[in-house]
Amino acid sequence: MEVAEMECRWLQIAKAEFFVLTARFKGHRKLFMGLVLSLGLLWAVYFAPLVVGLVMEVLTPITPIRVILQVMFPGLMRAVMLLLWMLLLIIPLGQALSEIKIGQWEILLASNVTTRDILVGTFLGKIPSYTLYVLVLAPLLLSPFLLALQVSLLGQLLIYTILTLMILTINWLSNIICAALQAKLGESSRGNDIAKALALLMGLIAIIPVLGLQLFATQFSVILGLNVFLVFPFTWSADLVSWLAITFNGINLTASQIAHFQNVLQFDLLTNGLLIVVFGVVCIGIGLLSAERLFTYQIGARSETVRTVKRENILLRGLRKISPSSFGSLVVTCFKTFFRQVQNLSKIAMALTLSVILPFLVILVYGQGSPITLDSLLPITGYGLAFMGIMAFSGTSFLESKDQLWMIQAVPRGTSRFVKARLVIAVLIALPLSLIPTTVLTIMMGLELFQFFWLFGYGYAMVCGAALFGTGITALNPNYEDIKSPVYTTSMMIANMICLFVTMASPFILSVITRFFIGVSLDTLLVTWGFLSAGVGRTIITAVFLLVLGALVVLVGTRRLGRPGT
Amino acid sequence: MVNNSICIKTEGLTKIFGSVQAIRELDLEVKSGSRFGFLGPNGAGKTTTVRILSGLLKQTSGTGTVCGYDVSTQRNSIKAVTGLLPETPGLYSKLSAVEFLEFIGALNGRNGDSLHQRIDRLLAILGLEGRQEDLLESYSSGMKQKVLMASTLLHDPQLVFLDEPTSRLDPAASALVKDLILLLAEENETSFFICTHITSFAEDVCDVIGIINEGQLVIVDSPHQIIESTKTRNLEEAYLKIVGGKVDRQTLLTWR
Repeated sequence: MEVAEMECRWLQIAKAEFFVLTARFKGHRKLFMGLVLSLGLLWAVYFAPLVVGLVMEVLTPITPIRVILQVMFPGLMRAVMLLLWMLLLIIPLGQALSEIKIGQWEILLASNVTTRDILVGTFLGKIPSYTLYVLVLAPLLLSPFLLALQVSLLGQLLIYTILTLMILTINWLSNIICAALQAKLGESSRGNDIAKALALLMGLIAIIPVLGLQLFATQFSVILGLNVFLVFPFTWSADLVSWLAITFNGINLTASQIAHFQNVLQFDLLTNGLLIVVFGVVCIGIGLLSAERLFTYQIGARSETVRTVKRENILLRGLRKISPSSFGSLVVTCFKTFFRQVQNLSKIAMALTLSVILPFLVILVYGQGSPITLDSLLPITGYGLAFMGIMAFSGTSFLESKDQLWMIQAVPRGTSRFVKARLVIAVLIALPLSLIPTTVLTIMMGLELFQFFWLFGYGYAMVCGAALFGTGITALNPNYEDIKSPVYTTSMMIANMICLFVTMASPFILSVITRFFIGVSLDTLLVTWGFLSAGVGRTIITAVFLLVLGALVVLVGTRRLGRPGT
Repeated sequence: MVNNSICIKTEGLTKIFGSVQAIRELDLEVKSGSRFGFLGPNGAGKTTTVRILSGLLKQTSGTGTVCGYDVSTQRNSIKAVTGLLPETPGLYSKLSAVEFLEFIGALNGRNGDSLHQRIDRLLAILGLEGRQEDLLESYSSGMKQKVLMASTLLHDPQLVFLDEPTSRLDPAASALVKDLILLLAEENETSFFICTHITSFAEDVCDVIGIINEGQLVIVDSPHQIIESTKTRNLEEAYLKIVGGKVDRQTLLTWR
């Protein structure tokens, strides 16, 4: 065989990416993609406006709301573009962080492929799928406005071209950032762990700058001497789309109307177009020029800083004193594995952050200064805390690999001892998880001490119940991968749904039972039994149900986990 | 009830995964105190056999006893008297070697000074004393294999299953494991069931060799007898003659 000179290595990589994306249509890839893209274009310029127009005619005729849509258009486009930017940057970043794959690069780099080829090839391979997303989804949002302005076919084509180019620019940008992060974090197992933790916190990371922008836009504008939004590329692309719709309108907008748009948008069509082209060129240039730096392996997997364990802290020493048996040792080692994984710390941090936000949400629900009773406060706090319990204890970090499970199974009753140790840890972590938000809530709402104890006791029981569910379901359906795996998502969703169902349905079920068998309503029975009120009694029933059912799920999960393979 | 002369006995042991028959009618007898080498190509059924014998996997049909305990009904008793070194290391990356061994010890119901002394001695023998407090994530695959070896021996098992024990080890560490097996078998009468691809290792360490191919046991005998019966020079040649797979020099370069 002759050695063929492969001039376009990036093309081969793009092809491979394309093959991965269209793996389901093996054999008819080109035909399928050509057909789908043609249909997408037809949908965007013909069917979508038709369908949206018909739906709007049914709901409300377009003529009376035409002016409203015209006025809303520029502002809404900016909001949509901001959202698109965040999503297109955050989602791939989250995915890249939760699944670091630099092994593939090693194969490519070993095949005498330049780093630039990898970046270009990976990006080009994704173009068809991203174009398709734009063609299918964008018309649903834009059509009402394009209909209101009666934008011509050429105008529509230009708008979708600009949108596609903008999305590809964001994709290019996220490709570069992902590559840099993966190269940096994928070098070590600790880096990998940090990456997974960051992926979990990605949502919070994305919300903070957007909130900051919304809250401090005026102050920034004063400092900059112009509308702060005008310095962001998402505004340029949004305004360019708005200008195209205005320029190619079919309703003969008057000069004064166009002047009004000019006042709102500030930069004209040409300036926005120029800015977005410059931004795109700069992005491409940065990517191509920095490619060699991004993909350089500076240190090997094991020449990283070696972490050595230190003397056990007071908590672990205390645990050993309380339980000097072999089970105590097991709890201590499980404690170490749990807290040394950054993604677990990230989950706990996330749960704690949400638990601190929870009181503010509770106040939002009740309104500042409104009278608070335990009856009304307990259910919302309880489910909120249960959700945090699930977030902290279900899905990941239970077992690192299937081989680990073999090792635990190879010990007599190994799985049941292991799960019990994990539950002890969950019960201990549940303490601060329930104590912090209930304390904040007590202080903020000026609750009495006995109310605090009720709230904390109930919250703690709910977190423990949720932890039981989370652990049990993870034992039934163990996840050896990371947060990107479908097993993780399934476990989280099932645990959450069951918890929500138990929280809502248990008092109702008991109420039906008491009416049917005793002939008395549950509320009457609870008051007769000496509960503070029927509402408080119902929440106690919920907690008991959650704990009992959670314990049952753990029991079943542990048995299943310990069962020999078939 | 422990049978003193036979530590492993199987009759018609069969395992089917969907359409794949991993083990077919396996009849096996391994004497106590022996070092049994289980050889076979990839996918021959070695690991499946080990998993069934160590109580981790249910057989489809057939019976078996390990150290006198039934593989179908007395799995916990089997686990208590055996040790297993799995094929791929399933270590906790965020624990140090000492902490991991403490974890395995605790799972086996052991703790305290006696456990720690045993851990320290084992790690010293395996040459890991300088790195024992480092997290396992920074260990090389050979070092991880040594930690796993220590975890297998920690609770002083009567029978040890070793699945590819030296595949990741350097020659010095392989020699160490070899000596350790020979010594434990001699001093403690520990039995070893060793799955391996490395015929030279099996020839040096094992007193009985079983060769499995496509789920069926082809031959069981001493290495010397196998070599003699196949009229070959060493176990590798005997293995290739029995299992097949030797490709001549001409064919080897036909792909070019």
